[in-house]
Amino acid sequence: MSYALNEVEATAKRAARGAGYSWGLAEEASKATRWLCAKGIDGSALLAGLLEAGYAAKLPAHVPQSLDGDWLAEAPLCPLATGAALSDCAARLQVLTLAIGPVSQPAMILPFAALAARQLGACVTVEGEGFQSVTDGTRLQCEGTLPNEAARLTIRAAGSLSNPYPICTRAEPEEAAWAVLNRYAHKTYAPATEESRLLGAGAGLSDND
Amino acid sequence: METTAQTTISRRDPAQVMRLSRLGSLHQCRLSFMRVLTRRMARENWSFARPKFDIDAKGVGVAVYTATGPARTYSLIAFAHDLPPEMRSDRVIATAWDATFTLFDGVPTEADIERLSKNVPYQEAGRVNEKSLSVSRANRSVRLWAHFVDALSQGRQPDPAQVDAVGYLMRTTAVYGSGKLGAADREAIADRPELNAPFQAEMLSVYLTRVFVRDLVEHMARAKGGENAVSLAPETARRLGIGNSTGLGMAPYIVNHPVLFNNWIKAREEAIARVRSVETATADEAACFRRMLRRSELSAARWRSEHPVQIEKLASLQKDLEALAAWVASDDLLNDKPWDRLISWSATELSLEGQELAASLILEPYAELVDGLSDCMADANKDAFIIDGAMPVAQVRELLKDSFGWALDLDWSARENCARAWYVSEEKLEPRMGERFDEPIAEYEQPLAPARDAAAAHAALAGQDGEEPIAAFLLRHPEHRHTVRRAQMSLVAPYGEIRSNTISDRVLPIDMLRAKLSFFGATHFDPRSDRWVRICMYAGAPYPEDLSTANADLWVYPEADQ
Repeated sequence: MSYALNEVEATAKRAARGAGYSWGLAEEASKATRWLCAKGIDGSALLAGLLEAGYAAKLPAHVPQSLDGDWLAEAPLCPLATGAALSDCAARLQVLTLAIGPVSQPAMILPFAALAARQLGACVTVEGEGFQSVTDGTRLQCEGTLPNEAARLTIRAAGSLSNPYPICTRAEPEEAAWAVLNRYAHKTYAPATEESRLLGAGAGLSDND
Repeated sequence: METTAQTTISRRDPAQVMRLSRLGSLHQCRLSFMRVLTRRMARENWSFARPKFDIDAKGVGVAVYTATGPARTYSLIAFAHDLPPEMRSDRVIATAWDATFTLFDGVPTEADIERLSKNVPYQEAGRVNEKSLSVSRANRSVRLWAHFVDALSQGRQPDPAQVDAVGYLMRTTAVYGSGKLGAADREAIADRPELNAPFQAEMLSVYLTRVFVRDLVEHMARAKGGENAVSLAPETARRLGIGNSTGLGMAPYIVNHPVLFNNWIKAREEAIARVRSVETATADEAACFRRMLRRSELSAARWRSEHPVQIEKLASLQKDLEALAAWVASDDLLNDKPWDRLISWSATELSLEGQELAASLILEPYAELVDGLSDCMADANKDAFIIDGAMPVAQVRELLKDSFGWALDLDWSARENCARAWYVSEEKLEPRMGERFDEPIAEYEQPLAPARDAAAAHAALAGQDGEEPIAAFLLRHPEHRHTVRRAQMSLVAPYGEIRSNTISDRVLPIDMLRAKLSFFGATHFDPRSDRWVRICMYAGAPYPEDLSTANADLWVYPEADQ
């Protein structure tokens, strides 16, 4: 089914929150998922895979232990928290190439590389074994195939776009992944109670007037 | 924002403007989205048609209304239903309505209408595609509808007193846009000049809905009365608006879109500052203000509410109007920055209702200073979302203090200060607000208490090295990420934050609803509770066949003979 990008964004935000991420990271997840869908990549499936990995519950183990030097870890890095840190540290890319890894769902890093590119006003290249991606913040091109996990990524302010993906205005999420997102999103909804039904919205009892 | 106009008076301080009590007293003005739309349609000489009206004697069927501007045509597809009274509810949790609508991008084919007829009547349970720009529904005012059909079918005009008492024949209970239910995203249409200002597709949908409702009531009267039936007198039709019944869903919107909300408030504040900076007014400008003030008195006289809070506010407004009339009678309004003098006087002498009415009214004589600001009210700043991780901790602390200084010392653990929690019910995802200490809702709380969160972030930052970039703190404390983002947004959006406690035991969500609805151009706010409000839209507006540059703007102020 075809979905509006706003629907993807709203569902992704609730899903990330339902999976245990903070509101701020849930916002990042929603924008990232939308950004990928607008490039024709099924961001919903990537997010669903990531949420199923359950990093949110033990997030400190899945983020860079320090922002100094390269961001290498023992446990796989969560691309949402790590991507957010990448965007936060965009200025560093002006002076160095950042190596990070291992990274789960490295495609999820790309929207954050795009945020960095926007801040730098320059293309950012994300490279791993078997693939190279370049973004100017708005558009994206990829050569090779992005794996489910990358042992090591290098990220630098470099590259140019020769053959970017066309921009999509709708998303076609894989059904099973969309169901996963909705399952997590549902965890943010309060169970219906009669009291809440009567009082929570504050409407009158009758609209037959 | 435009910077061509010289202002010697600066914009009002966000600390003054953004209090919830004041936001809950805002009135429509020249920048209201309905007026922006009707001005444009008249200026561009839009044409309108009703290519389809297949409604049976029971009032069931479909109708299509088209609106054509210089570049494109939009169509309202209206589905009319026969709704049993026991199913009539304005709540999100309703499943059936008297009428359902979609605003279609272009002119629908029969196949489009067939597809939409299987979806639009079910609203949230249906799906539309990117050819739909909005999806909405409306319920009848049962009393006024019956009275209109009875009267017209018997050859009589409806009783004006009953028209005034209600104000509309149908009220919309949701107007979804921007991607909801599969419709087109805002981003897909935002670069069209006619849809660039906020909520123009939704406002157009409601404008055409009003035409449909007028036509439907006449149709039903003819079906009932046959040859005895008469058409609705144009002056009565003109007085009718479209009602709107709005619950809590709208309140989170202004918290969740701080940059957009800032742009609305800032545009109006800039307009007020420009007009206050006018050194001398012409006789025509002063006369225009006096006329609009008189017409506002008529509007206020027709404003009814049974809610104790609003009854009190209306009483204050009546006094304010008398005081305003007296002040205006004693001043020629020509010299020594007349509008600044008026606003300064109002700040000490009028209630918030009166102050904000005065602030909106002084804009009326100054189309050339004000109207262009409507181009600045959309939010095209996608980069405001990006956190500047290099910003030093000390500066983030300062930003938090700027917007939420008043909240930092509040005891946020005291029950009265955090009595409420906003949440989304699993029941049709209806937004609700509940009692944190009495209901099991805290773990489902939505992030709609920026002041509390700011106080928490400020406290967490207290022990941090002020020189350190905020990025390191955010890596360790992702729970404060949304708050730091908002704090940085305040640099570009000084009017983005509500400066009141949105979860206190005294919070009135209707204040948040009114703030948003006033920018739509709504009038006659009628709270049904502390979290639910009915309003009127387009009352007094010309119907498409009468719309002209002469009547496209000031219709919101009733005329004495109307």
